[in-house]
Amino acid sequence: MKFPERVQAIADSARAFPWLGEITSQLLCDWVARELGVEFATSSWIRYGNGFRRLIPCSPILHIVSGETPHAALQSLIRGILVGSENWIKLPSTDLVEVRTFVDSLPKAIQPKLSKRLLPGWLESAATVVVFGSDRTIQEFASQVRPWQRFVPHGHKVSFAMLLGEWTKTEILGAIQDGSAFDQLGCLSPQFFLVKEQANHFAEQLARQLKSSSQVQIPLEAAAAVRAFREDWRFRSANDPAARLWESPDNSLAWTVLFDPGREFPRQPSHRTFVIKPFTASLEPSIELLRKHISTIGIHPVVPESIDLAIRFGAQRICPIGRMQEPALDWHHDGFPSLGSLVRVIDLEK
Amino acid sequence: MNVEKEILSFLEQPQPERFEELALQLFEVQRKKNRPYDLYCRALGVSVSSWKEIPGLPQQAFKHSEVRSFPAGETHFEFRTSGTTGEGYGRHFLPSLDVYRKAVIRGWDHARLPHFPIGLLMPSPRQNPHSSLAQMGGFLSANREHQHFWKAPGRLDPESLCNFVSGQPGAVVLFGTALAFLDILETTAGKPIFLPEGSLIMETGGFKGSNRTIEKSELYRDLSNHFAIPIDGIWNEYGMTELSSQFYSSGVDHPHSGPPWARVVVIDPATNREALPGQTGMIRIIDLANVWSVLAIQTQDLAWSGSNGEFRLIGRDPNALPRGCSRAVDEILAGR
Repeated sequence: MKFPERVQAIADSARAFPWLGEITSQLLCDWVARELGVEFATSSWIRYGNGFRRLIPCSPILHIVSGETPHAALQSLIRGILVGSENWIKLPSTDLVEVRTFVDSLPKAIQPKLSKRLLPGWLESAATVVVFGSDRTIQEFASQVRPWQRFVPHGHKVSFAMLLGEWTKTEILGAIQDGSAFDQLGCLSPQFFLVKEQANHFAEQLARQLKSSSQVQIPLEAAAAVRAFREDWRFRSANDPAARLWESPDNSLAWTVLFDPGREFPRQPSHRTFVIKPFTASLEPSIELLRKHISTIGIHPVVPESIDLAIRFGAQRICPIGRMQEPALDWHHDGFPSLGSLVRVIDLEK
Repeated sequence: MNVEKEILSFLEQPQPERFEELALQLFEVQRKKNRPYDLYCRALGVSVSSWKEIPGLPQQAFKHSEVRSFPAGETHFEFRTSGTTGEGYGRHFLPSLDVYRKAVIRGWDHARLPHFPIGLLMPSPRQNPHSSLAQMGGFLSANREHQHFWKAPGRLDPESLCNFVSGQPGAVVLFGTALAFLDILETTAGKPIFLPEGSLIMETGGFKGSNRTIEKSELYRDLSNHFAIPIDGIWNEYGMTELSSQFYSSGVDHPHSGPPWARVVVIDPATNREALPGQTGMIRIIDLANVWSVLAIQTQDLAWSGSNGEFRLIGRDPNALPRGCSRAVDEILAGR
């Protein structure tokens, strides 16, 4: 299938998945042109220094996707189709309905092969292996790929937000948006909010704003974890008035807000658990330790000082509060060139 | 503390009809003597009129606070949790071991567990004075033939274990953590250890923090094959450092039950109220033998609520909570 048809097919199928963000033919073409050059669409040679270059897909691509990330799985597939690769998807044992639905809506010619087991030959013959998962999963596949295979790992990540200046209701609403999407289980979900000015007040206002939130259903294990988190912090705040806990009324588990001025980062159970910490210099050594694992840092205000600090902390992606869960279509996932990682370059020298 | 004598007497001769009275009495004493717990009860704003309403102290509290219902200066023993969750370890302080010893020994008898010679796949109390499990093993082995097969952390002595077993004329008990049994299975793979008929295996503790997992049914099948013992001859002890009493079950699917002085309420996490029979929830334990800290402990362990105070344990490791692709910050900072 030719490039324009592939682009149209992706845009058509993506329409049923608004949570993927805006995906139109034009946006896809712009993205390819920006990252790979306009010539990629026509598979033509382009001048490169004294010679020429041509990009061809590293095909086939094996996508090992995890059960909790339909968003990432579809993004990876879209990238593979866009560059013109054949795609094989190893689904998790729990399956991913969203991926199957998306695939069913694609024209047969570009439909990937799907399997819940790693089919014989897939790992051995894939030109590119993209893996989503825990460190253990990544290490397992890393040890099996051959030197000639391209390996693109996407491990579990930490994201957080920093409010380094005066904040308003806009940032409160943005924080709620960031901390609510995808049950706060994504690698872009903020696990804590560092607030430089009036952190306690920020937590209080956040809780006030959340009061109008609707009830949500969460799985039993998660409910147990949220309940345990709350009781643990009820105990701690009863014994240390500096810590404060707010929670959704009527025993519901819709949301939890914790103001914790301590120096440690508490384990938090996600599912709309907002951990607010005053941003002090004493936290910086701990944040430094996270730098290898950071994905996104949401910042406010978006000024050079905040950006520099986010870079120093190891951010792969920096965005305004409220946009953490909405990466741009052409973002560099974990710092990789999204399309560039999936193509190889042929040089033609004079 | 008069209530200690009363509890010791209850452990010796349980009178189930007195459970509530003693539980409420102990609750009042502990609130008076244990300020962190009292402050927690105040924060909850509860009024308690039955044992089921006694607020369960979050198990995590033992990691952040000194949970004592006696003067700190009288502390003679300190049990510690393994600290595998990356948040430091929990501490359980005691001025004496009398109640704990009695709870262990009487609880074993109440579960009708045998007094066979015992092989312990765990450290001795001398090797690890802060392990409540080691202490428990010490109590159980005090008046019977016994041997420890623990050389150092993570190092067992399978040869001595084989010699111990083959030297016994009759049935034996092997008691250790699930991890220790897994180690034995691996180090003696291909060389089965045939236990004398009627023997019993007691495993405990799960695989917390070890990065190793195996389904209970798989572990029991392997143990059954390796030690030539029926599945129902393999038992699980459900206990914890923060408690003084234990719950036992045999085989893969049988429920756990405890002694008359320890009861369980399964709490529905969605409502924070008692789960209906057959429903799944978090285990709250009211243990009269927990005289020196807090008698009611709220765990994050999940179980099906059964009849007659029994429960079917589902999971023990809160860190197994699915986190999507978001990574736990505390684990990174703890170097895990």
